[in-house]
Amino acid sequence: MPESARAPVLEARSLAKQYQLGEILVDALAGVDFSVQRGEFVAIMGPSGSGKSTLLHLLGGLDRPSSGDVLLSELRLSELSDAQATLARRRNIGFVFQFFNLLPTLTAEENITLPLLIDGKDPSDVADRLERLLALVGLADRRHHRPDQLSGGEQQRVALARALITEPLIVLADEPTGNLDTKTGNAIMELLRRSCDELSQTIIVVSHDPRASAHADRVVFLRDGAIVEQLDLRQLPGFSDRLGRIMSTLEGLEV
Amino acid sequence: MRLLRLITLRSLRARPFRSLLSGFAIALGVASILAIGITNRSALEAVTRVFEGTSGRADLIITSQEGGEQGIPETALSRVRTIRGAAAAVPLLEIKTILPDEAPESQIGLSFFGSTMGGLTLFGIDPLEDPLARAYTLVEGRFLEEGTGGYQVVLVETFAEEQELEVGDKLNVLTPDGVERFDIVGLMAKEGPGQVNNGAFGVVPLLAAQEVFGRLGELDQIDVLAEESASAESVDALRADLQARLGEDYAVTFPAAQGRRMAQMLGNYQIGLNFLSGIALFIGAFLIYNAFAMTVVERTREFGMLRTVGLTRTQVITQVLAEAAVLGLLGSLAGVLLGLAMSFGLSRLMEVMLNQEMRQLTLPVPTLITSVAVGVSVTLLAALLPATQAGRISPLEALRIQGRSQEGRLLRNAWKIGAGLLAMASVVLIANPFPFDVQFRLGSLTVFALFAGATLMIPASVQHWQQATRPLTRRLYGTSGSLGSGNLSRAKLRTTLTVAALMVGVAMILIVRTMTESFSGDLRTWIESYVGGDLFVASSLPMHARVGRHLESIPGVAVAAPVRYLEAEWRRPDGADEPVTFMAIDPVPHSQVTSFVFSESEADPEAAVARLAAGNSVFISSVLAEKNGLAVGDPIQLKTRGGWRPFVVAAVVVDFYNQGQVVQGSWTDLRRFFGAEDASAYLIRLTPGFEASQVRQAIEDTYGERDRLTVESNAELKARIFRLMDQAFSLFDVLAVIALLVASLGIFNTLTMNVLERTREIGMLRAIGMGGRQVLLMILSEAGQMGLIGGGLGLALGLVLSRIFFISMNAMSGYDLAFVLPLGGLVFGLVVALAVSHLAALLPARRATSIRILDAIHYE
Repeated sequence: MPESARAPVLEARSLAKQYQLGEILVDALAGVDFSVQRGEFVAIMGPSGSGKSTLLHLLGGLDRPSSGDVLLSELRLSELSDAQATLARRRNIGFVFQFFNLLPTLTAEENITLPLLIDGKDPSDVADRLERLLALVGLADRRHHRPDQLSGGEQQRVALARALITEPLIVLADEPTGNLDTKTGNAIMELLRRSCDELSQTIIVVSHDPRASAHADRVVFLRDGAIVEQLDLRQLPGFSDRLGRIMSTLEGLEV
Repeated sequence: MRLLRLITLRSLRARPFRSLLSGFAIALGVASILAIGITNRSALEAVTRVFEGTSGRADLIITSQEGGEQGIPETALSRVRTIRGAAAAVPLLEIKTILPDEAPESQIGLSFFGSTMGGLTLFGIDPLEDPLARAYTLVEGRFLEEGTGGYQVVLVETFAEEQELEVGDKLNVLTPDGVERFDIVGLMAKEGPGQVNNGAFGVVPLLAAQEVFGRLGELDQIDVLAEESASAESVDALRADLQARLGEDYAVTFPAAQGRRMAQMLGNYQIGLNFLSGIALFIGAFLIYNAFAMTVVERTREFGMLRTVGLTRTQVITQVLAEAAVLGLLGSLAGVLLGLAMSFGLSRLMEVMLNQEMRQLTLPVPTLITSVAVGVSVTLLAALLPATQAGRISPLEALRIQGRSQEGRLLRNAWKIGAGLLAMASVVLIANPFPFDVQFRLGSLTVFALFAGATLMIPASVQHWQQATRPLTRRLYGTSGSLGSGNLSRAKLRTTLTVAALMVGVAMILIVRTMTESFSGDLRTWIESYVGGDLFVASSLPMHARVGRHLESIPGVAVAAPVRYLEAEWRRPDGADEPVTFMAIDPVPHSQVTSFVFSESEADPEAAVARLAAGNSVFISSVLAEKNGLAVGDPIQLKTRGGWRPFVVAAVVVDFYNQGQVVQGSWTDLRRFFGAEDASAYLIRLTPGFEASQVRQAIEDTYGERDRLTVESNAELKARIFRLMDQAFSLFDVLAVIALLVASLGIFNTLTMNVLERTREIGMLRAIGMGGRQVLLMILSEAGQMGLIGGGLGLALGLVLSRIFFISMNAMSGYDLAFVLPLGGLVFGLVVALAVSHLAALLPARRATSIRILDAIHYE
């Protein structure tokens, strides 16, 4: 494999984060080392309070670490000013959240092209890309609907299309199926998989649901702010069952 | 641009009620400023127009030094014409007469400037030269011509219509020698000089006037026009030159001086209105801030998401400000329309007060632009803080389930800015570091600063207030109540906004009540004594002693005391000369009919009256005393027929006639020093047992026609005057009520937000067993406490501001009004605050109780 392909597109080095909660200092993350290759689909799992959401926030430049680095394709995210980090998010990172986070006053199509508008670009320049994404998420005939006219699953698909419109370096998803029923959630995860396979996107998903994570190439397990286990799913048959077993163990250990 | 349109406009449309409320708030503020500005200028213009009608174009006016009704010899005209720099000298003779077949007025005309009596004013003019000094607008017939036989007159068309006269008819006029007839050769519009005496005006040739009214060789005024290219300095020099050449017997003055005096008379009322417009604007700004603060909180997740997707902080701030700009622009434009409409109403009110028709001024475009600019600027300013807070929302907020309001450092330190503003504004109002005119505009800004300052002091003090009122809350609302009361400190920002809204509303009510009661209190006392006696008799003709005798011969008339008003001049202690009204009374009959209102320090009223009767002394008004530091025993100088003469101040009395520019003197002094013997009015005291209407009828039947008398019972007259006053003050009450209504809308909004934000919490409380009624009590207790705090603060602020306004207005106007503490107003204010806050809480509280528990717990 060529050198460039082996260089990770996203890398966390000794990443740590502490929060001040009144008088107590809480260790949310304790020195995490972590990297993602281009075109990988990684799932981060762990019980509640394990720090997985914190890790995602740091990886996406939404928050600054207490110590350590986040490198997005050689860009030191952790050292950027707020304005620079904002630009990085705008052009290089796509987000999908648990609660849909669309602008209620914009149509599906307008919500999808929002990052481009913010960047001062004309959406008609990327008309082809827009069509392709609408087709991918299956919402071509719902493009003019507003969020209150779309179902939960459809809103999440809009969010995904928005995350993909700028052809970002990575796509970060925080519990994307948390608010959806099993079938719809599964559909979303399959879409994420397809964007990885067909569009060569790098995906990082945070989830507590093992079925969601089953679509990933690799699963990273967090507990109490540290990585405790990693699974390379491409090499494991019957990994879904193993996933389930590990999760129950972890949860059983939790008080 | 497209982004701006997408997010900004859609967001405004998505919250129609709030957008409308905000737009309306700004519209109201802009409208108030515009309406008050327009009306003030129209009133000023109407007032100066009255004066300008007599000397519109003249650069200088020459009259007799003795002032009043003394004329000047016609020979002066040729002397003036020889002086270099005087391009034209226009003669004028002023005649006051009546139409012989005119019925006496049934009512005495009342206006801000005193009473008016109808009759007909004629100017004897030089037909060729006069248009140089005055602009006549001929609408029918022709102007006066030199040399044609007979006596001609040009009347004002409205007057001619009223009298059913036309061009070609004859006008009968009463002269000292009987009735004389003039040919009506033309009609003029009621503009310029046509405004004199409210249109009862005409021009006749000078010689005709002199012959017919027995004033050959005499003039009343010479209007002097300087060269066209003359500068202000050369006009000044010309004035000095003329004065020197003509000598002491003549007064050479600038026309503008008198117009300005008229303007000053309106001044106080206008100051009050300007204050109010400042308050209106503050309320507008306040509501804008309220609305935007709420919106930012509601859209916290939205802004967080936008930050996630890549909107920078600056872009977020720009978004919010863009919304503010759109609202500000639309609101201001609506405000301009509303202001124009409001100015119609205000103008009508002013017309009643001035007893003078007001023309609607054509609106100068700069004023419109300024109003819109002010509206937009204020909106942007008000939205600035919420915009900055929106910019501070971190992308992480997008992931939170519930928005959290951004409070903290700014709120804690706000009181420092607030205290600073309060101090600065108080200093400006009390110490008056700026000259009079500037106060007009500065007044509104200062009031704005006062309210803003007081509001900024709230966050820091809420905690203390809350602790102070907690025991009371528990007593009134029970344990659920104490849950509610604790909530006040949780959402400091929102509590501040609500409390501030109440505070402003209550303070306004209190200020308006205080000012009204203090002003009208003193005014009423004065008017009660002023319009003393039982009947008031006036006439369009001068009333000589004969009339007094006639009146006293009527059965039922016990005493008829004459009063004479004379325009004179006095010399201020600082050396400047000022017009003043000399009110002559006959002390003995006068004190039998009515009494003076002495200022407090007068020990022996009888002795003071005796001093007045002895002569060479005057009573001065408290306004004059206050403004010039005069006291009993001080000498003042009045200009009499024989020149400047010293008089001793015998007493200081409360007298608001002519805004306080008045001195009272004895009848003997009137005769001796001013050469007048006739009365302007008679005050009549009835014999006990006689009825006012009875005696009035008797007077009218016997002497009404002969002496041209208008008789009115004092009760009626006072009633009309009080009605006029109430109308003038009612405006302030209306504005106060509007302010409170608008404030209460803001409160309702705030409380609704409170409930919405705590939906999950309330659902949880219901889930664990809190009853619907208890939830209601909880919400109401919150509202009740805010009402108590807001009302209390409003009363405190209102009292302080009233005091400051009082001191300020007394200083500016020279009045020494007694400050009346409106106990009724205090109670009313507190009741209003509590009522408004509870009413505003009812709907949100009901919504809180009807929250379905499961919905609430699963609230996203």
